This record gives sequence, C-alpha cells and structure tokens, in this order.
Amino acid sequence: MTTAAVELKDWEPVIVAFCCNWCSYAGADLAGTSRIQYPPNVRIIRVNCTGRVDPDFVLDALDQGADGVLVSGCHPGDCHYTSGNLKMRARWALLETAIEGAGISPDRVRLQWASASEGQRFADGVKELTEKVRKAGPFRRKWT
Amino acid sequence: MTDPVPIAMGQGSSCWGCFQSLVDIHLGLADVLPLLDIKYWQAVADFKLHHLESYPDKSVVVGLYEGMARTEEDVHLLKLMRDKCQILIAFGSCSCFGGIPGMANFSDIEECCDVKFRNNRTVKGGKVPSENVPPLEKTVKPNNSYVDFDIYLPGCPPTSKVIATAVNALLTGRPIELPAHAVCHYCEREKKEEPVESWLRDFQGISDPDRCLLEQGYLCLGSSTWGVCEAQCPNAGAPCKGCHGPVGHFVDHGAASIAMLGSYGPLEAEEMKAQIKDPLGSFWRFTYPASHLGQIRLRREGKK
Repeated sequence: MTTAAVELKDWEPVIVAFCCNWCSYAGADLAGTSRIQYPPNVRIIRVNCTGRVDPDFVLDALDQGADGVLVSGCHPGDCHYTSGNLKMRARWALLETAIEGAGISPDRVRLQWASASEGQRFADGVKELTEKVRKAGPFRRKWT
Repeated sequence: MTDPVPIAMGQGSSCWGCFQSLVDIHLGLADVLPLLDIKYWQAVADFKLHHLESYPDKSVVVGLYEGMARTEEDVHLLKLMRDKCQILIAFGSCSCFGGIPGMANFSDIEECCDVKFRNNRTVKGGKVPSENVPPLEKTVKPNNSYVDFDIYLPGCPPTSKVIATAVNALLTGRPIELPAHAVCHYCEREKKEEPVESWLRDFQGISDPDRCLLEQGYLCLGSSTWGVCEAQCPNAGAPCKGCHGPVGHFVDHGAASIAMLGSYGPLEAEEMKAQIKDPLGSFWRFTYPASHLGQIRLRREGKK
C-alpha cells in the first residue's frame, strides 16, 4: 500500500503479531475456537519462540509500514525452550527505550504473555493494542 | 613499469581520520605511491573542485569517498565522485553507514543548530552562519541513498592493514575479500559461557584481562560487529563499540546488538533499563542513518 493510499477515513490499523508456537499461537487458536471477539486488525505470524523474534523484525515491520507490533509468548518460566522468553524480555526493555528515543510512540509496540489456555488474555491484549494504535493514527502519516 | 593508476580522494563531512589511517601505512606508502596518480585530494594535493569537475566522466579509476553528506557541497562532491570514478569506495563507517555524525539524526536540524550555533554553554543568541559556508542538508542520509558504491570499507577508521590490503588488491586487479567474521573471532579473551550477572559501565570495577569483557558485564559489541579490525580494541582491553558496523551489510546493527545482549544477559526488564542507560546511542552509534530505526526517522523528517 502506498502512502497516498492511506486515507484517514477508511484507515484501519495494521498490526503484525509474532506469536510463539507453544503458548500464544495456541492461545490465539483458543480465542478463535471459543468465539471470543477481538479486532481483525492483527496479522499473526507464528514463530517457534519469542526468543526467535529478532528486534530487527519489529523495526523492519514498522519500517515497512505496520502501524503496530505485538509480540506474544509464554509466561516467564514457562518457555518451551526454558529461557527464550526471558531473552526476549531483556531485549524488549532495550528495544522499547530505543524506539521511544528514536521518536516512535511506545504505544505502537507491545510485549505480552499469554499461555495456551488464556484465549481471553490474548484477545484482551490485541484489543488494547489496537485501541492504542487507533488513537495514535496511521504510522505512515507522520512516522511517529 | 605500468602507468600509475589515477585515483581521487573525496572528503565529505567527517573528522578526516580515515585518510590519516591511510597515511598510517607508513613505509608501505613508499611502494604504493609511485603506482598512484593522485587526481584529487583536498587536504594533500593542490587540486580544486573545478579540476575534478573538468575531468571526463569515468576517467579516474579509483575513488575513495570519506565522510557523510551533511552539506549540499558534500552531496555535490559525492555525486561528482561517482560520475568521474570507475570504482567508488565507501571509505570508513561514516561513508558506509552514516557513522558518528549520523547521530545528528537523533534530533532534527533545528535542534542541532540550537545546540551548535544559537544557544549553548558558551554562546547565547548566536546565528547559524550562512556566508562562505555551504548550506546544511536537513538530515544525514546514508551516502548510498545518493549514489551506488562498488566497495564498502568500514571502520572508524579502517585499519591501515585493511587499507593496504585493499589498495594492493585494487592495483593488482584482484577482488577485495574481507572475511565475514565477527570481532569475537579474532579476540583472544576466554569465554566461559556463563550468563552476565549485571551490566557495568566502562569505568566500573576492574576487568579481568584474560576473560571475555561481555561476560564480565561490559557492553562489548564484538559479537554483533564485523571483525575487519581483527579485534584491536578488546585485545587491548577496551570493549568494542561496534565501529565496523554489522556483520554482513545493512542489517540493523543496533537490533543485532540488542538481540546479542539479551542472549548473554537475560536480566529483568527493570534491571536492563537501569543498567543500560542509552540503548540508542550505544547500539546505533555508527549505523543510525542506514538502519531500520534511522530510516523511519528519515521518513519522518521527509514528511515535515
């Protein structure tokens, strides 16, 4: 989509979500099978673990015009690979600070933990992020 | 003996350190200089810009461009170098990725001028000079967004050894091969594969001279940085600041460094934030304009 195509009146936030295979992807599945309603703005990408999510994926998604990025994984201590989500948690702290320092609203990114049994929690996270991103407006309009 | 090879050296906005590193080849210069026919080099040979402008296109075989394009004159010189040179080399990290002066993009041009010219500790109510100086560009764009380069030689500055290798390769017509190893590949310090307990600033504590600096908690970016320097700094006791940019061209060096630190020291979020004060300045120090994060900033300035 080109910048010119982004019209505010029919703009819908585009959110890229990285979900870990073992918890959040299953959690998103559960949200679906339980018919929990949540905004359709999120595009889920399945990764094996949040530890697989390079901070560059988040920046690249924003650079290519996503309006928000969600990273969702197992609760700390529950990682299928023992410590992948702990690594992501540490990276996220730095990434968040850097993103804010570079003038991008921290409301556009979110790290959350949702297990395979927490469909509601996953849906709530998506809802909250979508609302925040909607309030912040199209990223391509001002790139902030 | 064959005819000397025409060579041009252009300098944008920079500290001129890369060409000093070139001069640091010392006695090696005695072998190399007779083989070169210097066509343009602001600081050394008495050629003016109009000389460079008057050469036929592609008449100079090798061009080295040092520094980034901060002023309109730099942009002109950069494009001119591309027109006149057959092989154009991005010489040094500023030229490859934006470098230290690229950090100006953390702020917009007005904020930069305020601090530099208008109001700071020694100047009150100053003016931005406009006479006899070229106008400033609004942002620092990576040089390769203006022109294409044939070869990238990063480093702040590139080491004399790399320069000598590159110059010799060019003169003999061989390709320049720089191995894609990280700094750690060349570092002699011992790694024990133990996680970091807490992150330290450079001035805190006393480091073990034989152990990996990163594992001791010092922010050494060796594992995410291209090791063309052969680990000069960590071997001498200083943590790597990442001046050679990422291993493999143009991925986000800052993001790679953050990923690497998260693996070595997965501390709690609050601890990370408290102990690592300035992620933007620490990890995007040399590569901001060319990185994903820096590209977003450039787009934002373009929208203003």
